[in-house]
Amino acid sequence: MSTKLDLLQGTLDLLILKTLALGPQHGWGISQRIQQISDNVLRVNQGSLYPALQRLDTAGFIDSEWGASENNRQAKFYSLTKIGARQLREETQQWERMTLAVQRILETKV
Amino acid sequence: MWKRLRALLRHGELDHGLNAEVRFHIEMETEKNIRLGMSRDDARRTALRSFGPMEKHKAETRDARGVSWFENLVADLRFGARALFKHPGYALLAVLTLGLGIGANTAIFSVINGVLLKPLPYAHGDRLVVLQQSAPLSGRANTGVAIAEYFDYRERSKDVFDGLVEYHQMNFDLINRGEPDRVNTGVVSANFFDLLGIKPVVGRTFVAADDVKGAEAVLVLSYTYWQTKFGGDPNIVGQVFEMNDRPHRVIGVLPNVPHYPQENDVYMPVLACPFRAAAEGNIARQRRAFAALNVFGRLKDGVSPEQAASVVGSICHNFTNDQQFAAAYRPAQSGFQGTAVGVRQAMTSGARELLLILLGITGLVLLIACANVANLTLARMLGRDRELALRAALGAGRGRLIRQLLTESTLLAVVGGIIGIAFAWVTIGMLTRFVGRFTARTGEIDMDFIVLIFTLGISIVTGVLFGTLPALGSRVDLVSALKQGGAQAGDSSGRKRMQGALIIAQVAVSVVLLVGAGLLLASFYRLQQVETGYRSQGVLTAQVYGNFSKYPTAQSLIDVYRPMIERIQSQPGVMSAAITNAVPLAGGAPGTTRFDIEGRVSDDPERRPTTDTRIASPRYFETIGIPLVAGRAFNDLDTAESQKVIVINKSMAKYWDGIDPVGTKVSPDRGETWMTVVGVVGDVRQFGLAQDTVAQLYIPLTQTQQGLAGRLVIRTQGDPLAFANSMRTIVHSLDSTMPVEGVQTLDDLRSEALAAPRLTATLLTVFAGLALLVTLAGIGGVIATSVQQRTKEFGLRMALGASRESVLTMVIRQGLMLVGIGLLVGAAVALAAGRLLNSYLYQTAPSDPMILAGVAAVFLLSGVVACFIPARRATTVDPLIALRAE
Repeated sequence: MSTKLDLLQGTLDLLILKTLALGPQHGWGISQRIQQISDNVLRVNQGSLYPALQRLDTAGFIDSEWGASENNRQAKFYSLTKIGARQLREETQQWERMTLAVQRILETKV
Repeated sequence: MWKRLRALLRHGELDHGLNAEVRFHIEMETEKNIRLGMSRDDARRTALRSFGPMEKHKAETRDARGVSWFENLVADLRFGARALFKHPGYALLAVLTLGLGIGANTAIFSVINGVLLKPLPYAHGDRLVVLQQSAPLSGRANTGVAIAEYFDYRERSKDVFDGLVEYHQMNFDLINRGEPDRVNTGVVSANFFDLLGIKPVVGRTFVAADDVKGAEAVLVLSYTYWQTKFGGDPNIVGQVFEMNDRPHRVIGVLPNVPHYPQENDVYMPVLACPFRAAAEGNIARQRRAFAALNVFGRLKDGVSPEQAASVVGSICHNFTNDQQFAAAYRPAQSGFQGTAVGVRQAMTSGARELLLILLGITGLVLLIACANVANLTLARMLGRDRELALRAALGAGRGRLIRQLLTESTLLAVVGGIIGIAFAWVTIGMLTRFVGRFTARTGEIDMDFIVLIFTLGISIVTGVLFGTLPALGSRVDLVSALKQGGAQAGDSSGRKRMQGALIIAQVAVSVVLLVGAGLLLASFYRLQQVETGYRSQGVLTAQVYGNFSKYPTAQSLIDVYRPMIERIQSQPGVMSAAITNAVPLAGGAPGTTRFDIEGRVSDDPERRPTTDTRIASPRYFETIGIPLVAGRAFNDLDTAESQKVIVINKSMAKYWDGIDPVGTKVSPDRGETWMTVVGVVGDVRQFGLAQDTVAQLYIPLTQTQQGLAGRLVIRTQGDPLAFANSMRTIVHSLDSTMPVEGVQTLDDLRSEALAAPRLTATLLTVFAGLALLVTLAGIGGVIATSVQQRTKEFGLRMALGASRESVLTMVIRQGLMLVGIGLLVGAAVALAAGRLLNSYLYQTAPSDPMILAGVAAVFLLSGVVACFIPARRATTVDPLIALRAE
C-alpha cells in the first residue's frame, strides 16, 4: 500500500480527461481505471474526485448524464466534450513539456 | 454560465444527485472489496474509510459547483433577518424611514413615467407635431391658427408632412331622449384620426365623404362618454341624436386614449360646425377669421421636428410679410411667428419642470433617509464590534463581513421598498389629480412593471448606499476588539467623523427643503390674502347656455335671460341675482380690445390702450360685491334703444390721467360708435389670483350685440348650494332644454384657483417636514450613542467637579456644532437653488431673509431639543458607577 503515490496537484484533472477520452464513465469507474492503468501506482483520493468532476463540469470540459451502470444501477456517467478534448490536448502537451524539463534537470550530472 | 444558473435553480435536485452519486460509489467500492474476500461489513467499512470524510467532500463538491455565493446569501439573509428581529426598534425605524423615502420616489416616478416617459398611445405618436403661432411683442403666447392660415400651411408644407389636420372645440347640445346634454365637441378634419393613428373600438371614424356638403351629419363618441352615458352599449353605432337642430348619426367610438389639446365627449367633421362654416365664408375679407384652430401634422419619414418647425416658420414669415395682409399681422410690431413642436412635448411641457423638481426633492428625502439609516447602522455597529471581531477571528474574511452587512442593509431596503410601494399606491390618486392641473396626460399614470423595476432598483441602490458607508468603517482591529470589549473597540474615531459628516449633510439637505417649503408656504399665504376685489362668500353661479339655433340673436337670448333673473330674484332667500359672461377666476384670458377716449384719439392705432370686455346685467356688481367707486351701476333704464353706456374699472380709469371718466365717451371701433362711461367700479382678479388686474369695461346685458354664454350669479342668505335645485327649476320653466352646468359657488372657484399652489406647497412641506423629522432623529441618535460611549468620561468629569449644567452644555454644543455647519452649507445651497422655484412663487423672493432666518431658528431650536434628551442622560451618570464600570 505504501508504494502508492498521491497525485500531484493539478494532475487529477488531466487524468480524468484522459480517462474519459476512452469513453464515458462514472465516478467510481474513473477512479478504478486510473488505478488499473497505472498498475495501482497512482491512488485517486476518492474524496477529491467528485469536486474535480464538478469543477470540470462547470468549466464545460465534461458533460454528465444519468444512466444504468454495468450492474444495472443508476449512476452518473461523465463524458468528454469538444472543449474538453481540446483542453486535454493542451494539458497533455504542457505535461510533456514539464516532465521533459524536470527530467533534464534531474539528468544533469553533478 | 447557464450551468451555474441551472445549478442555482435546481439546487436541491443537484444535492440529491450528489448523494446518489456518492452512495453508488460506496456500493461499488463495497462490492469490489467483497470480491477481494472481505465480509460485507468489513467491505463497507473499508469503502467508507477509503472515501474519507464524506460531508467535507460533498461540501467541496458543492463549492466547486460555484453556487456557494448563493448559499452564503441564503445564510446571510437568514442571519440578517434574525439580527434585525433581535433589534426590532432599529429595524422598524430603518424600514419606515426607507419606506417613506422609497415610496415618495416611487409615487413621483410613476407619475413621470406615465406623463413624460411613455410614448403617446397613438400609432404615430412620436411623429406628431402641433403648429403654434404667437405674437410675443404683443404679449400673446398663442394666437391660434385661422382658417386661411391653415389652408396656407396645408398647401405649402407637403414636403415635410404626411398631412395636416385641424381641430377646434365647440359646446353643443346633444338631445338624448329629450334631455339636453351639453357636450364638448371636437370638430376635426375627416382624416384626423387616421393621421394620429387612432383606430375606433366600435364602428368607424370619419372618411372624406363625411366632410362634404350635403353629407349626412355623423358623430364619433369618446370612450368615456360612451361608457358613462350609454354604459358601453355595443349597439350605439347607428343611433341618431339631435344636435344643432339636425339629426346626427353615431358611426363609431374612440378607444380610451388621452385627448389633446382638450377632452371631448363627441367629435364631428369640420363642415358640420355651423360657426366655422360661417367664418370660412369670410376669409377673403378677414384674414384671421376664426383663429381658433389647432393644427396637427405628421412628419414624413426622415423629417426631423426641427426641419418641420423651420418650414412652418418660413411659411408663416411669408404670409405675415405679404403686403395684402399687413393690417392683419403687423409683424414688425407684433413679432407674429409660427413654429411646430412635438405633440408629446407640447402636451407635457406644463408639468415637466414641476415633476422634475418633485423628483429631485424626493430624491433628496431618500438621501436623507439613507444617511439616517447609515447612521443608525453605524451606531448599532458600535455594539456589534465584538461580534464582528469574533467572526473575523473565526476566519470570516473582510469581504465576507462586508457582504453580511450589505445583505442586512439590502434586506432592510427591500422591505422598505415594499412599504414604499404600498405608500405610493395610497398616494398616487392624489398625485394624479395634482398633476392633472398641469397636463392633460394623466390617464396613463399607473404603477406598472417599469415602476416596480424602478422601485426595486432604488431599493437595492439604497441598501448598498447606506450599507457601504458603515461597512467601510468596519475595519476591525481584532486584538483590541477582543481584548477590550465593545465600547472602545474598532476604528471608532473614523466612524464618528463619518457620523458627523452624515449629520451635516442631512441638515444641509433638510435646510434646502425647508427653505423651499417655507417659500412656497409664504407665497401661498400671500396668494390667499390677495384682495380679489369682490366678496365670494354666499354666491352661487351656474352656466346657462342658450342653444344658438333656438336663440339666433343677442336679443332673443336677452329675452330669456331677463325673466330668468327676475324670477330668481323674487325667490325667498335670494338677495340679488345677475347674469354675466364670465365670473372671476373661472379661467380664460383677458381680451384685448383697443379703444379711444373721446377728445384724445390717438393717431397711431397701435398705441391705443387695450381693455378686456365683460357683459353684466344691472345688479351684477351688487351681487358679487364689486364696489362702485364713482357714478352709477347699470339699471333697467339702460335698454337696447337708450344711450350706449359702459362701466369701467379702476385700472381702465387710469387712462384718463386723473380726470373723472364718468360722463366721457369711449369708442372701440375708431369712432364709429361711442359709449358713455356712467360708472367706475373696483378692480377684480378676473383671470387668476396671481395675475395683476387688467383694464376692464362692462357692457350692459341689454346692449350687447354678440350674445353671450350666460353665467348666473346669485347671492343668497345661507348656503348658496341649497338654492341650486330651485335655480334649475326656474331655468327649465323658461326653457326645458337649456342645460344648467358648472353649478358652483364663487368660493369653490376661488379655492380651485388656490388648489395647485396649495398642493405644491403642501407636498413640499410634507417632504421637508419628513426630512426634518428624520434628520432630528438622526441627530438625537448620534448624540445618544456618543453619550453612551463617553459615560466614563462624564463620570470622571463630574467626579472632578464639573457641574451637571456644564456637562449638559458640552453635549448640546457638540450637537449644535454639526447643526450649525449643516445650516451654513444648506443656506448657501438654498440661496443658489432658490431660482428653480421662482415661477411658483407669488410676491416672494427666493432669497427671502425672513424664511432663511425662520428655518435656521426652527433647526437650532429643534436641534437643541433633539440633543437635550440624550444629553440629560449624560448628567444623570453616577460618577461612582461610571468609573467602576469596566
